[in-house]
Amino acid sequence: MKKAYRDNEAFIEIKDLTFSYKKSSVILNNVSISFYKSEITAIIGPNGSGKTTLGKLMSGILSSEQGSVFLEGTNIKGITLGNIGKKVGYLFQQPERQLFNPTVKEEIGFAHLFMGEPKDKVDKKVSKIIEELSLQGLENSSPYKISRGERQRVALATILINEPSFLILDEPTTGLDMIKKDKLSEILKNLQQQNIGMVIISHDKSFIKSNADRTLEVSGGEINEV
Amino acid sequence: MKFDPRTKLIMVFSFSTLAVFVIDIYLLLVVLLISIVVSNYFKENWDFLKRTKKFITLLIGIVLIQSIFSPAGEILLSINHFTILTTGGLAKGIRVILRMLIIIISATIMTGSSPREIIQALIQWKVPYEIAFMVSLSIRFIPILGEEAKDAFTAIQLRGVEIDKLNLTKRIKIYSYMFMPVLSGVIHRAKELSTSLEARAFRAYPDRSSYIKLELARKDYLIMFVSTLFTISILGIYIIMG
Repeated sequence: MKKAYRDNEAFIEIKDLTFSYKKSSVILNNVSISFYKSEITAIIGPNGSGKTTLGKLMSGILSSEQGSVFLEGTNIKGITLGNIGKKVGYLFQQPERQLFNPTVKEEIGFAHLFMGEPKDKVDKKVSKIIEELSLQGLENSSPYKISRGERQRVALATILINEPSFLILDEPTTGLDMIKKDKLSEILKNLQQQNIGMVIISHDKSFIKSNADRTLEVSGGEINEV
Repeated sequence: MKFDPRTKLIMVFSFSTLAVFVIDIYLLLVVLLISIVVSNYFKENWDFLKRTKKFITLLIGIVLIQSIFSPAGEILLSINHFTILTTGGLAKGIRVILRMLIIIISATIMTGSSPREIIQALIQWKVPYEIAFMVSLSIRFIPILGEEAKDAFTAIQLRGVEIDKLNLTKRIKIYSYMFMPVLSGVIHRAKELSTSLEARAFRAYPDRSSYIKLELARKDYLIMFVSTLFTISILGIYIIMG
C-alpha cells in the first residue's frame, strides 16, 4: 500500500459522532476521524456496518444530533447541499439515481446550465470532461441505455464538472469487469494528481490495495485503521 | 386485541365514505375525533404526524385557494377589492382539510396488518389473486419509491443546484427532473419483477391454495356491524334531511 504525503489540515473531520437510524441500533458510536485531500482513503467493513452511512454523513446527506462533521473547518450543518456539492462529489452506489437527462451531454452540463452559466462556457467544460473520462461517442446516447461502467463514468463526469476538491465513491467497482476497473483506477489516479482527495467505500480488496493510501474498517459502530 | 384485516378495511371504508358525503363541519370534526380514537386504539404508528408538519403550508394554501375561487358569505380579508378570505370560502377550506385528515388517519388503521394479511383478506372477498397481488406489490414498493425520490432530490442538490435560491418556476422545473430516475427505476424494477414472476410460475395454474386462512371472530362481526350501521345511519339522516 502506498504512503502519501498528508496535509496538516483535515478536509473533512468527524468529531465524536454517534448515529443511528430510527428504531435501529447504533450504527456509529462516538467516532472521530479525519480525511485529507492528499490521500485516497478506503472504507471497508461487513454489509450493514455503516460504510454508506458514514459516506452520507461526510457529505451532509445525513446528519446526526450527536457529534459534528466539519468541512474545511466549517460545521457541515451550516452548509447547504448545493454548496457542499461544489466541494465534495458523491457517487451513489446506484449511479442511475443521479442521472436526470435524456442524453449524456445534457446530463453533464445540466446543473451549470440550470444555474444560469453561459452555454458556450458549459459546452467547453463538458467536452473536456468527456475526453478525460473517455466518453467520446456517447454524447447523444441515453444515460440509461449505456453499460454500467459507462453510466458510472457519466455520473462521475457530472460530479467532476463542479471541480470538487474531494470525492466520496460508494462501491464504484460493483458490476465492473477487470478492464473497466483498470480504467477507473487510471481515472482516479489522474484525479489524485490534480489534488482531489478521495474516499472509496468498497468490498473490492484488490482495487483498494492498488488505489488506497489508507484503509479504515467500519465494524460494530467503531472505525479502525487497518 | 388482533382484528381481521377485513374488519379494518370496513372501518376505513366507513370513515372514508363519511368524509366524502358529510358536509357539516361539526359532524366532520366528530368523525375525525372518532377516527383518531379508533386509530389510537389499534395502537398504530403516529410518526407520520411529524411529517405532516411539512404540509402545513399546503393546508393553508388549500384554505386560501378554496376561499379565493369560491367566495361566499362575509368578506374577512381583501386587498384592493380582491377578496382573499370569506366566511364561506374558509368553511370550504376547513372542510377539505378535515376530509383529508379523516382519510389519512383512518387509513393508518390498516398499517397494523401485514401486506400478506391484506392480500389474503381481498382474496377471501373473492377479489382475483392477480389484482390483490398487485395491491400488495404497490404497498410494498411505496417506501422504495420514496427512498429513490429522496436520493434523486439529494443528488440534484449535490450537483450544485441551490434549491432555496431558485424562483418558483425554476423550482417546479427542477422537481420535474426528478421523475427521470424514479420512472426509470420503476420501469426497470417492473421488468425484473415480471421476469422473476414468470420464472416462479405465477398464474401457471388457475387455482391457488393458501397457507394463511383468515377467520372472522365475533368481535370482528360486531365491529363490522357497528361501523356499517353508524355510516348508514348518518348517511340516512343526511338523505332524509335533504
